[in-house]
Amino acid sequence: METNSRPVVVKRMPERLNVRTAREFLREVQPLLTKDRPQIVFDLSQVKQLDASGVEMLLRCMSEVHKRDGDIKLATLSAQAAVVLELTRTERLFEIYETSTDAVRSFSGFLPNAMRQQLLHQKHPPAPLAA
Amino acid sequence: MTYMDIRALVLVNRTIEELADLTPFSALPTALLEVAGKTSLQRTLERLHQFGIPPASVVSDCDFLVPAPTNGDGANYLMTARESFWRAAESAFNELAQDGAELVLVVTLGGYAEIDLEKLVQFHLDQQARVSQVYTEAEPLPVFCISASRRNDAASLFRSQLVKCRSECPMFMHTGYFNALANARDLRQFAIDILTLKTQTKPAGTEVRPGVWIERGAVIEKGARVLAPAFIGGFAKIRTHAVVTRCSSVEHHAQIDCGTVSENSTLLPYCVIGAGLDLAHSVVGAGVVANLRRDVTVEIADPKLVGYFPAAAGHRLLNAALELTSYLPKQVWQGLFGKSEPQQPDLQTALHQTSPSLGSAAGYQTPACDSNAAEKFPSNLAVVRRYGNQ
Repeated sequence: METNSRPVVVKRMPERLNVRTAREFLREVQPLLTKDRPQIVFDLSQVKQLDASGVEMLLRCMSEVHKRDGDIKLATLSAQAAVVLELTRTERLFEIYETSTDAVRSFSGFLPNAMRQQLLHQKHPPAPLAA
Repeated sequence: MTYMDIRALVLVNRTIEELADLTPFSALPTALLEVAGKTSLQRTLERLHQFGIPPASVVSDCDFLVPAPTNGDGANYLMTARESFWRAAESAFNELAQDGAELVLVVTLGGYAEIDLEKLVQFHLDQQARVSQVYTEAEPLPVFCISASRRNDAASLFRSQLVKCRSECPMFMHTGYFNALANARDLRQFAIDILTLKTQTKPAGTEVRPGVWIERGAVIEKGARVLAPAFIGGFAKIRTHAVVTRCSSVEHHAQIDCGTVSENSTLLPYCVIGAGLDLAHSVVGAGVVANLRRDVTVEIADPKLVGYFPAAAGHRLLNAALELTSYLPKQVWQGLFGKSEPQQPDLQTALHQTSPSLGSAAGYQTPACDSNAAEKFPSNLAVVRRYGNQ
């Protein structure tokens, strides 16, 4: 998919993201990360097992992309991925979207991220906590 | 003045326990799962004792009953095979009747109910019933008051696995505290209710500060913060710069590693939560985390995030000995080759850092938490968030 004349790459992440698979995945996406101003969406819908090395790989990708003035967004988080990202305090570092299409569209959006998040919150207010 | 001989028969049955959705968290049945330092079995036995009922007979089909804390409660434990459980319960009832009991309270564990036993007995006598059952607004509870002389009624009840009563069975309405302990949410709610004193039963250990209950042997390292209400179980370890807050319950031998925040969460016994993590609204079991806000239970196989201590004392002793022997060489190595003064990152950098468990990608050199990572973890991070009354 293309937005702003620059392509957005949607990459589906593997079911298991442990030390070995994370390294393989990183090797696989390396050419995308080293492009000029890369725009990447990681689809985490299939992820059933995510460990610290998987999160570390995500952070490594993000840091590589930021060096080249690009961005990585996450989409369709599985329950497992969402819990691990929340646990490791990394969910706040990524923009997360409900679908890959939303994530791709967001690259062409004019609104700054902060405002977009605010609008999202107005749409889906967070559920009140029990305690 | 004559006293009535009232006895109690407590049943811990696997079939009932398996209906609970708590099996991924622990191999133990719900009745033996510790919440704020005590199992619901212990709390029930304590409650029976408070009402002046002599030590109960406990019938169970779980091999691993009689955990250490229940020793000394005076209860008579009877272990049985699963297939002969109800027969064993029936014979235990008959023994109590032969022993001279006039009334027998049959309490089946699974959930936890704080029943007013005096009122229940009075109700049973007023109704001139053979068997009375307790119920809440929502459902009947597997708690019965049975006249000991009515052995046939009792036998029929046990043979139907407490489902069918032979004669008319008046219902005693229970309006007090009840928790079904059927899933992780119930377990968490139970801990909250105990810590906020909504129940009559209290957390185990000593109240060292208002709302902070700590059991003997718990280790809270320098720099760690425990904010009321909270419970720290025996031999649990709260490592430096960790924060335990909002009704968090850290059960015995559990460990919260450096810099981790535990907010409104329960750590079941022997669980270890890694360094620099943010555990909120969750129940952590053996490699399993139930996130109550998202309403999901996920397995986490990575010990850097969620681990499980070996329950055997020998294993723990071996680990401790290894740690002790490696301590001195580690210190010498650090003294010779380590950096002299670790630099504290400024607040802005600290806010962008993630868990030290994630290793170098997160801006940390060490992959997991150790004393080095603890030094590198910024102590000012907790200041930017608000916990409890701070």
